[in-house]
Amino acid sequence: MSSVSFHHVEKSFGATKVIHGISFDIADGEFMVLVGPSGCGKSTLLRMLAGLEDITSGTIAIDGRVVNDVDSKDRDIAMVFQSYALYPHMSVRENMGFRLRLRRADRREIDTRVARAAQILKLEPYLDRFPRELSGGQRQRVAMGRAIVRDPKVFLFDEPLSNLDAKLRVQMRSEIKALHQRLKTTTVYVTHDQIEAMTMADRIVVMHDGRVEQIGRPLDLYDRPNNLFVAQFIGSPAMNVVSGTVRRHNGSAWLEADGVRWPMGEVPGAEGQPVVFGVRPEHLDLARTDGDHVAGDVIVVEPTGAETELLVQVGASQVTLVTSGRPRVRPGERIALAVEPGMGHVFDRESGQRLVD
Amino acid sequence: MSTIALPKVEPLDPIRPKRRGLSPWQVWGVALLAPYILVFAVFVVYPVAYGFWLARDPQSYVRLFDDPVFAGAVVNTLVFLIIGINVKMLVALFLSGFFVNTRPWIKWLSILFILPWAVPSIPTILSVRFMLNPEWGLVNQVIFRLTAADGPNWLNDRWLALTMAILVHVWKSLPFWTMILIAGRLTIPPELYEAASVDGASKWQKFRFVTWPSLATLYLTSTILSMIWTLGDFNSVYLLTGGGPADLTHVLATLGIRYLRLDQVDLAMATIVVAMPFVLPLMYFMMKRLSK
Repeated sequence: MSSVSFHHVEKSFGATKVIHGISFDIADGEFMVLVGPSGCGKSTLLRMLAGLEDITSGTIAIDGRVVNDVDSKDRDIAMVFQSYALYPHMSVRENMGFRLRLRRADRREIDTRVARAAQILKLEPYLDRFPRELSGGQRQRVAMGRAIVRDPKVFLFDEPLSNLDAKLRVQMRSEIKALHQRLKTTTVYVTHDQIEAMTMADRIVVMHDGRVEQIGRPLDLYDRPNNLFVAQFIGSPAMNVVSGTVRRHNGSAWLEADGVRWPMGEVPGAEGQPVVFGVRPEHLDLARTDGDHVAGDVIVVEPTGAETELLVQVGASQVTLVTSGRPRVRPGERIALAVEPGMGHVFDRESGQRLVD
Repeated sequence: MSTIALPKVEPLDPIRPKRRGLSPWQVWGVALLAPYILVFAVFVVYPVAYGFWLARDPQSYVRLFDDPVFAGAVVNTLVFLIIGINVKMLVALFLSGFFVNTRPWIKWLSILFILPWAVPSIPTILSVRFMLNPEWGLVNQVIFRLTAADGPNWLNDRWLALTMAILVHVWKSLPFWTMILIAGRLTIPPELYEAASVDGASKWQKFRFVTWPSLATLYLTSTILSMIWTLGDFNSVYLLTGGGPADLTHVLATLGIRYLRLDQVDLAMATIVVAMPFVLPLMYFMMKRLSK
């Protein structure tokens, strides 16, 4: 187990800079998820940590030792690839024991460690099969088995669940998490799926265009996104955002947007300031018409059983509302929406940064 | 009184009449197959059968086996196939590893490299022959300039001349087999090499555990196919040495032509029939592999 630290790390491919000076630390035993849209540089960052890409400038250290010029094989890491990258001509047993075999480990030791990993991952019945004879989920487990047999300092996962169907993905998600809780090995996990990030991570690094947008615990990112990008990337359905101008009068504040008056409650922003107002779908409520509210027309009603999702036209914008239960509303109906007090987010319209209260 | 005309009903024939001739489906089948069968008969069956017919006399084989040139040609053919082809395929395997690199200058180099295969045989092999001329050939002139000594008489010694013929063959067909093996290497997912890097494999171990297992089948199939083709390779030997010196560098492919020029058609055909034991096992092996 070990810590990992990135210090002003940059990466260029030819004249194109893809990572712009990234710095952060991962604590010993932490499960860190790098998340962001495709092309944000998260996989490149992971591959630099793995030693599969050169580091253009800055340093990466594992356990306090700078590994910039250390060969991949001497970094004491294990990596799980999106395509699993199992050696097709080796059985599951040989795949899992390959690293130890290359290290000329004692045959009995290899057998013991492979058996232990197989037991943890419930792979015992498949040890003598070849990768082509396994299902996607089993291959995924073998890839993880190959990683844990080695007892490395750091586990690296590069979008490991992307090739699985939705149901299996949820199952493997909890298996990986359970595995981490059992082994407590420092883990760096790359995904583009914010749900994976939210459900698995101790902390999340949100990346965008080769820069870190925000680092924090999942619920902190959810509750207090630093900027519009994080606000809209984290959470599903995405946060509603409305562009407008702050108005303050007699101690109450509201957002004026295309003639619609959004009650903002206790939020920052000076009178006349152009801002973007954000509110998560579950923080919008169907209101009685006597309180502070905005009126809107229902466009689509999507019941999912436990919850109902409504798409509502308010002025020029469309907003999503998620409510528990099954409200009796129909498309075309006019309803009143209320923002839960204290649950609005305000961002500067120019910079996209969160306005501090 | 009016009668209602009932539609006349034909009684159903309980026994179907035997169909005469072919159904339209079968007619089309035959019509579409006919041109192929015709071409096959005229250009394959007839010549092969005629060849066998020409080579039918057992006496031809007695005379063939008595000819010392024949024994030499068999040895030369075996050397050509077993040493020549394997050296070629090994070099192709090595070069394919070099040419899969994506650096721009390697791309340009690969275009140059493919040239020997793309240009016609006759002028290129004849120009090699001129270069190897002991007196005024380029090679010996360079040797003389550098060492002030006379170079060897390249095409006047059996093994030297045969080696040169093999080298010409390798030089000419190496690009093709290198391309085949490059194609094979490109199907190996790059993540396998990355996984092997993380697992701590050296360059040799990556070849041993990732490249070779994926490439072995293709490599073996290519080797056999190359042997089959090389059995019929007439150019490399004929254009370079003409079978000389003193008919010592003939292979079975050139020997047949030699007999033809001596008006010994039956011996020429017998030579080809004798080559069958070389080809058939290779063909059999090849078909088995391909039908797997």
